[in-house]
Amino acid sequence: MIIRAVLASVFLLSGAFVFSVCVLGLFRFNNVLDRMHAAALGDTMGIFLTILGVIILSDNIYQIVKLALIVIFIWMTSPVATHLIGKMELLTSDNKKFRKGRNIK
Amino acid sequence: MDYKSDPNKIGKWERFFKWVNGEDSIDSVWEKEMRSKITGKRKKRRKTIEDTIERINSYSKKIYIILSVFITVVYIGILLYTVYELPEHGNPLNPANNEVSQRYIEHGVEETGALNIVSAMILDYRAFDTFGETVVLFTAVICVAILLRRTDEDKTDLEQDSFKSDRGDILKFAARLVFPIVVLYGIYVIINGHISPGGGFAGGTIIGAGLILYSAAFGDEKIKSILNYKSITVTTVSCLLIYFFSKGYSFFTGGNHIESVIPKGTPGNILSGGLILPLNICVGIVVACTMYGFYSYFTKGDI
Repeated sequence: MIIRAVLASVFLLSGAFVFSVCVLGLFRFNNVLDRMHAAALGDTMGIFLTILGVIILSDNIYQIVKLALIVIFIWMTSPVATHLIGKMELLTSDNKKFRKGRNIK
Repeated sequence: MDYKSDPNKIGKWERFFKWVNGEDSIDSVWEKEMRSKITGKRKKRRKTIEDTIERINSYSKKIYIILSVFITVVYIGILLYTVYELPEHGNPLNPANNEVSQRYIEHGVEETGALNIVSAMILDYRAFDTFGETVVLFTAVICVAILLRRTDEDKTDLEQDSFKSDRGDILKFAARLVFPIVVLYGIYVIINGHISPGGGFAGGTIIGAGLILYSAAFGDEKIKSILNYKSITVTTVSCLLIYFFSKGYSFFTGGNHIESVIPKGTPGNILSGGLILPLNICVGIVVACTMYGFYSYFTKGDI
């Protein structure tokens, strides 16, 4: 039981650490793409670690399945949204660096 | 009246009306005169005007800060006073603990057949309230349609092409995976509205989000085969009419102590709760169509 609690707390704390890094990056970076990278980190890695911690703590099998489904759903949707925002930024930004890549379809 | 040849004969009101109607009533000579007058005055006054503007700006900034702090403090005070005057939490003699809520809690399940008391309240005891909310949504989408709807002739070719073109493969793949799950979950939330938390509004919003995702991923053409202007209007209006007539019948029989033909069913089953399940489905369809309608009017100007 103690090992389980320690393992769960390690995962929860590392998830919280990833989220704090993500918030820091969201406010400290200058470019849109950099900031999006930081935000996407929290949406995938942070949520995975946090929910893994909760899964280790939970006893009910249905609860575990539900939490796993949450992770799968977020991993299916969040990176796609990030990809679309990044593509839109690449296609419409005024930054000269991105002009080479404009004809990406 | 030929006002352009003789600008002095036109009255101020007439000029004002013409200006409101968008006609170019201001004679060019008169305009030039007025402009030269105004600019002459401006050149003289420029320095003093700029000074006064600066002064007003600095004053208004101070006044803005003072007023914003003052208004915020007053509102905080009013709200805190209201909270202070509220009755004690958990006291059985509170005015909220009257016979109405007691009746809902004690007789709700046997009178409506729904385990979810909130659902029993909003779709059985106070169903016309919910009907009003649904009609508000319908009215909102009608207003958006009046303001933003465009026919095909109004659109440029570029716009039409941009909605026909396919989106990226990544979005398509994700939408193919996620869309059925989202719609299935929405249907579950609607159908279980009288047993577990949920109901027509929540489930309808979920289905509407799924439709928006489908439309964003697969383009305008595919979704138009199912959801077009005519089908959305017909389904929404028929759902509202079904809601109105069925609940009107239920209220009529209840008010006149006539026995209703609608069975209550055993509480806990899917087919229970009398009219709550069909009313939830009606509300869900209206909400889903409204959500999709908002998205599509604001992006394309047409459903």
